[in-house]
Amino acid sequence: MSGGGPAGDVLLDVRAVRRAFADDRAVDGIDLTVRSGEIHAIVGLNGAGKSTLMRLALGMLRPAAGSVHLRLPGTDAVEAWHAPAEVWAAVGHLVETPFAYPELTVTEMVVAAARLRGMPASAAVPAARRVVEALELQRWAHRGTGTLSMGNRQRLGLACAAVHAPRLLVLDEPSTALDPAGVVLVRAWLRRTRDAGSGVLVSSHHLDEVARTADRITVLHRGRVVGGLAPEGVDLERQFFAMVHAADAAAACDASTGSGA
Amino acid sequence: MTGAAWDVELLKLRRSSVARTSALALVLGTCALTAAFTAVGLGDGDSQMAVKVRPMLQGTGWEAYLGMLGQILSVGVLLAVGVVVAWTVGREFTDGTIASLQALPTPPAAIARAKLATVLLGAVLCAVATVALAVVLGLLIGLGPPDGAGLRAGGRALVVALLMAVLTLPLALVASVRRGYLPGVGALLGIVVVTQVATVAGAGAWFPWATPGLWAGMGGQAAADAVTPLQLLLPLPVGLLGALATVRWWATAELR
Repeated sequence: MSGGGPAGDVLLDVRAVRRAFADDRAVDGIDLTVRSGEIHAIVGLNGAGKSTLMRLALGMLRPAAGSVHLRLPGTDAVEAWHAPAEVWAAVGHLVETPFAYPELTVTEMVVAAARLRGMPASAAVPAARRVVEALELQRWAHRGTGTLSMGNRQRLGLACAAVHAPRLLVLDEPSTALDPAGVVLVRAWLRRTRDAGSGVLVSSHHLDEVARTADRITVLHRGRVVGGLAPEGVDLERQFFAMVHAADAAAACDASTGSGA
Repeated sequence: MTGAAWDVELLKLRRSSVARTSALALVLGTCALTAAFTAVGLGDGDSQMAVKVRPMLQGTGWEAYLGMLGQILSVGVLLAVGVVVAWTVGREFTDGTIASLQALPTPPAAIARAKLATVLLGAVLCAVATVALAVVLGLLIGLGPPDGAGLRAGGRALVVALLMAVLTLPLALVASVRRGYLPGVGALLGIVVVTQVATVAGAGAWFPWATPGLWAGMGGQAAADAVTPLQLLLPLPVGLLGALATVRWWATAELR
């Protein structure tokens, strides 16, 4: 469902990027963009390459080939790998494990994230209060993060990712471990973030959820883009599996052709 | 953003049960062992412990007491601070928080620097607290005001503690490269074993992790006197190199 206005400038530009781990081609020639004011979802089975793609987008992994550029307002386009500090000040992310140290309280954790994301101490405290309220974590604000449920830890991770109001938000499975109320809350929060002009890249297994949230859906399979889904389309699950099976069939055909040659 | 890294790492260290437990064990445990060993060594008993401890005591009164403190600190600091160094770095990989420490305006190298600096600061404070507590306990058991030899022994104990704290820094590199605190703790145990072997083999003075203990008197007065200034200073470049290599690794490696 596309509730936002027209998408704007390209914030993240991924071109023909490849990355392997030993003989596993985790990402095998992917092109992808994220624009300001849009939520771009990537969906795929386990091992499709979603997390690796996000780590490449965040400069955590060095591409073996291709390029990953960040083009954030006020900065030149730069390679994500070892991008300068001013670029990362406009990026927020939650990849795999929520940012939570059990020895800190929820508020301390979000303030710590704000400080590490470049906010001065004077601005970090009110910013942390705002995002804690936005994600309805006030009840646990002064509790140790080690006492939180999985769902609340996930919301804390989102708060740490977005406390500095980033222009580009990269979220790996943001709905993981959330209860139905949490899913609705995070969905509305993501839409507000998008409507405020941020670009959001999310990964998910849940087709129903991305259909309700995303403006664009890209399907990944075995490290490649195998198609796109229209968020307002019907029976996305059937379309998704048709793409996946078609990709598998094409790969099997290529393999048999190659072996026969 | 270096200030942010320092503030966050200092808060994490102050709150962590690993650091608190290690600090308590170091300060209280070292003082308790020192008092016990000194009492046994200076006493008239002929127990197995008294026989073993007596050669470790040099002089009498404050000199013997704080000399023993230095020897016990040489082991205590290595173990307590070593565990904290390995944990504070390795936990980010073990707990999966390492991904959240990247793609930040605060570079990973600044975070690694802050980790090592805060642990080193904590180690210095613990060393000072240990010597201070030992002095208070010495006064309470009637040693009287510290004499010149006692003050020199106290200063030597502090130097030993600082050298051993610096020598824990290379453990951060092991915990980083092997991506977890257990490899760091394993390396720590390996260092303890090799230190023993090097000392028994007679090469202890040139083995940086053994030198401060020997200088403190663990091998007797003759071995302590044989330690040269160059040998005693060797822990500084070794520790510094370990710290620099750790920061460099955090600056350049794929942290995953």
